[in-house]
Amino acid sequence: MTARADRCRGAARAVVGLVGVLVSGPAFGAPLAHREVLPNGIVLLVAERPAVPIVAVRVLTRAGAAFDPDDRAGLANLTGALLTRGTAKRTGPEVDSAIEFVGGSLEATAGRDSLTVALSVQKKDLTLGLDLVSEVILSPTFPPAEVTRKVSEIQAAIKRSEEDPGTVASRALSRLVYPGHPYGVPVEGTRESVARLTRDDVVTFYARHARPDTTVVAVVGAVTVDEARREITARFGSWARPAGAAPSITPATAPPSPREETVKRELTQSTIMLGRRAIRQTEPEYFPLSVASYVLGGGSVSRLYARVREEAGLAYAIYSWVSPARYGAAFAVSAQTRTAEVPKVVVMIREELARMTREPVAERELALAKQYLIGSFPFRLETSGKVADFLVAVEDQGLGLDYADRYKEQIGRVTARDVQRVAAQFFPPESFSLVIVGDTK
Amino acid sequence: MPREVPAAERVVAATLDNGLRVLLLEDHRSPIVSVQVWYRVGSRDEQRGATGIAHFLEHMMFKGTPTRGPKQFARLVEENGGQDNAFTSQDVTSYFVDIAADKLDLVIELEADRMQNLLLDPKEIASEREVVIEERRTRTEDDPGGFLGEEVNSIAFKAHPYGYPIIGWMEDIKRITPAEIRAFYKTYYVPNNALVVAVGAFEAPAVLGKIRRSFGRIPRGKTPPPVLAVEPPQNGERRVTVRKEAELPIVYLGWHVPNQRSNDAPALEVLSTILSGGRASRLYRDLVYQRQLALEAGGDYSYFSIDPNLFWFWATPMPGQTSETLETELSKHMERLKTEPVTDEELARAKNQIESAFVFQDDSVHRRAALLARFELIGGYELKDSFITKIRAVTAADLTRVAGAWFAPEGKSVGVLLPKAR
Repeated sequence: MTARADRCRGAARAVVGLVGVLVSGPAFGAPLAHREVLPNGIVLLVAERPAVPIVAVRVLTRAGAAFDPDDRAGLANLTGALLTRGTAKRTGPEVDSAIEFVGGSLEATAGRDSLTVALSVQKKDLTLGLDLVSEVILSPTFPPAEVTRKVSEIQAAIKRSEEDPGTVASRALSRLVYPGHPYGVPVEGTRESVARLTRDDVVTFYARHARPDTTVVAVVGAVTVDEARREITARFGSWARPAGAAPSITPATAPPSPREETVKRELTQSTIMLGRRAIRQTEPEYFPLSVASYVLGGGSVSRLYARVREEAGLAYAIYSWVSPARYGAAFAVSAQTRTAEVPKVVVMIREELARMTREPVAERELALAKQYLIGSFPFRLETSGKVADFLVAVEDQGLGLDYADRYKEQIGRVTARDVQRVAAQFFPPESFSLVIVGDTK
Repeated sequence: MPREVPAAERVVAATLDNGLRVLLLEDHRSPIVSVQVWYRVGSRDEQRGATGIAHFLEHMMFKGTPTRGPKQFARLVEENGGQDNAFTSQDVTSYFVDIAADKLDLVIELEADRMQNLLLDPKEIASEREVVIEERRTRTEDDPGGFLGEEVNSIAFKAHPYGYPIIGWMEDIKRITPAEIRAFYKTYYVPNNALVVAVGAFEAPAVLGKIRRSFGRIPRGKTPPPVLAVEPPQNGERRVTVRKEAELPIVYLGWHVPNQRSNDAPALEVLSTILSGGRASRLYRDLVYQRQLALEAGGDYSYFSIDPNLFWFWATPMPGQTSETLETELSKHMERLKTEPVTDEELARAKNQIESAFVFQDDSVHRRAALLARFELIGGYELKDSFITKIRAVTAADLTRVAGAWFAPEGKSVGVLLPKAR
C-alpha cells in the first residue's frame, strides 16, 4: 500500500513464490537437519546455523483449509488468524507488544493443508520467543471480541481483494480445476461463508485438528540440537496425543472437464489464466514436469517469455508453474495483456503447450532448465527462515529429509524424451480450463 | 558474529582509476554470491517529456551487446543456476545476479560488457516499448494504490523530478526515441557513476583484481549533470481525488521532509516505526485494531532518499467508513505527535525493531550487499556503522520537535481514491 518506487523488470521471478519452496533442488549432500520424533509424536527438525545470531522457528500442524467443513469455508484461516489474538497468559495486544519489543516477529497463518506459526527472533530473545510460540499453540483463548473483530477484518480483506485481477483469476481457476474438492474453495472463504463462522466453530476445529502427532517443529539458526530439543520438549512435551487417528481427507480424484469463465472488470489489461490438474512431488513424473514447465514458462528465456513478451511485446508478466500440495496438484499458465490482444495471447499459449507435446525440447533448452533448477537451489536455503520453511514443508508433505538430494538427482536425469512424455500427458491445450478477468464485452 | 564487527573493518573498498567504486565483503557461510551493479541514475535525472527513460533503459540492459546478443544475458545467468533482475527507483538503477560463487567471473564479465557495449537495437526498443506499456498498465493504470500514489507525487512536487512517475507517463513511454535512450545510456552508464558490490564466498583481493581487469578497461566518462532542482516550500494544502474501479477507498497524505543529510532523519525513521512498525504500532493499534476504522494503515519514510522526499501516511477505510474519517484520523495522529511525547516503551520498541531488522539482514548475501550499496550511495558504506548509534540517540523530545517542524497543515498533499460504481 505504501508508495513504493521500485520497478522490477521481470514479475516472473517474484511469482516463483507461488510454486512454493518444493520445486527447488538440493543442497550439498550434508544432512539438512537433525530429525527426531518426540514421545507425543511431534517431529522435531533442527538445523544449526551459528554464524548469524538469529533463530527461526516454525510450528506446522495439519489444520489447513482442506479440513474446513463444507459450509464453513474460511474456518482454518480464521482459526490461524486468531491464534495470536489471546492466550491463557496474554491478550492479543500483549502478545504483539512482547514480540515487537524485541524486534522479532510472530505470525500464525493457515494455508491449504496446514496451519503454521512462524517466529523470528534474535538469539538473545529465544526464550521469550518460544514462550510465545508455545502459548499461542497450546493455550489460545479465542476471545469472543477478537473473533468478531477478525471476522469483519477478513470480510473486508476479501472485498478488497476483488480489485486485484490476479487474485480474482486464481480463485476462479481453482474453482474450475478442483470442483467439489476443498482446493476449489478459497482458503479465506467467501464473505458469506465467513459471516457464518462462530467462536464455537473455531474452538471445535482447533481442538480436532491441532494435535502433536500431526505437528512438525523446525528450529533453525544460532542454536544447538541439544538446546532445541530441551527447549521444545520443555514446552511441548506434555501436549497429549489424542486417542483417535488424525483426520484425513480424500485426495482430489479424476480431473474435471475443462471449462471457461470470464469475470468482467473495468481495466485496461486482462488477466489470462489456464490451468489443469497435475501431480505431486511423490510421483516420479513430477520431476520431468518441473523441467517441462520451466522450458515452457519458467524464467526469462522460456518459450512463452520469448514469444509473447520479447518477440511480440504483448505482456510484461507471463509464466507457468506447478503447484503441488498434499491432496492434489495443479499446473497453470498466466499472462496479462491489453484487452484487445487477449485472443492472440491465448492462441500463443495454446500453441506453445501443443508444441511441447509434439516435439522434443532442444538439448540446450533442456540443459538450461535443469541447470537452473539445480543450480539456483542454494538460494532457496539461504536464510534460517527459508531453511525452516523448507524443513516443515518437506516433512509435512511426506517427502523425506533427503528430498533435496533426490530432487537434484531426479532433475539431473530428466531427458528430452521424458519432457515430451509428460507434456503429452499434461499439456494438451484442450485439457486446460481458462479464466479471463478484464473488460470483456 | 557479523554484527559485532563494524562494516568498515571487513569491507574491501576501492575506487578504480576510471572512477568505478567497488565494495567487496567476504561471507563464506554458503558457496554463493550476490553481485550488484548500482548506477547513480533514476527518474530523478529525467526531464519533462521524457519521463520513464531510466526505467526503459533498465529493460534494454537485458537486450544484448555485440558479443552477447539479445536474451544472452538471462540465458547465461540461468544456465549457470543464477537469478538476475533489476529495478529502477527515483534515485538509482540496480542490477543484481545471485549465483554460485564459482560463477562470479562470468557475472563480472557480463556486467562490464553491458556497462559499455549495449546494443540498443531500435527493433528491440520497439518491442520492449510494448512490454513497458503493459508493465505500466499492471502497476499503475489497473492498480488503485499505484494509480493514487502517482497522482499524489505529481502534485506534491512542482519543481523537483520526484514528481515524475518512475515508470514514466504513458505518453512519454510511447514517444521516447532510440536516440534519446542511447544518449541517456552514454551519459549515465559510465564507471564513475556506478558502484559494484559483491558479498559472498570469494577471496576479496582476487575478485578486486578481476574487477580491475574487466571494468578497469572502460574509460571514465564525463561527470553526469547534477540535479539542480530544489523543491520550494509548499505554501498550501494540495489535494487530488480520483475515481477508479476499486472495492474500497484509499487515502494518502504526504509531507515534505528532509532526507538523511539532516540531523532530523534518525528521528523521522523512528517516528515512522512508531506509527506503523507492526501490530503494536500506533496506526495499526488505534485505527485497525481498537476502532476498526481501517483495514490497513501506515506511515512510510525513505531514509535513503538522495534528495528530500515525502513522509507518507496511508489508510484503507473499512467498508462503511469514509475516506474523510480516515483522513481526519491520520491527521489527528500527526497532531498528537506534535504535542504529546511518545512513551518510553514505544520509543524503545521502535529502536529495537530497527536494530533487529539490521541483524536479520545479515542472513542473506543479497540483502547485505544491497544495504552496503544503500549507505554507499548516501555518502559511504561506513555510515552503516553509525546508523544504529544515531537511532539509539533519538529522544521523545526529538520526535515532538520533528513532528512540529515538518508536518505543518499547509505542507500537506492529500490523495483520495474513491471506488467507481460498477
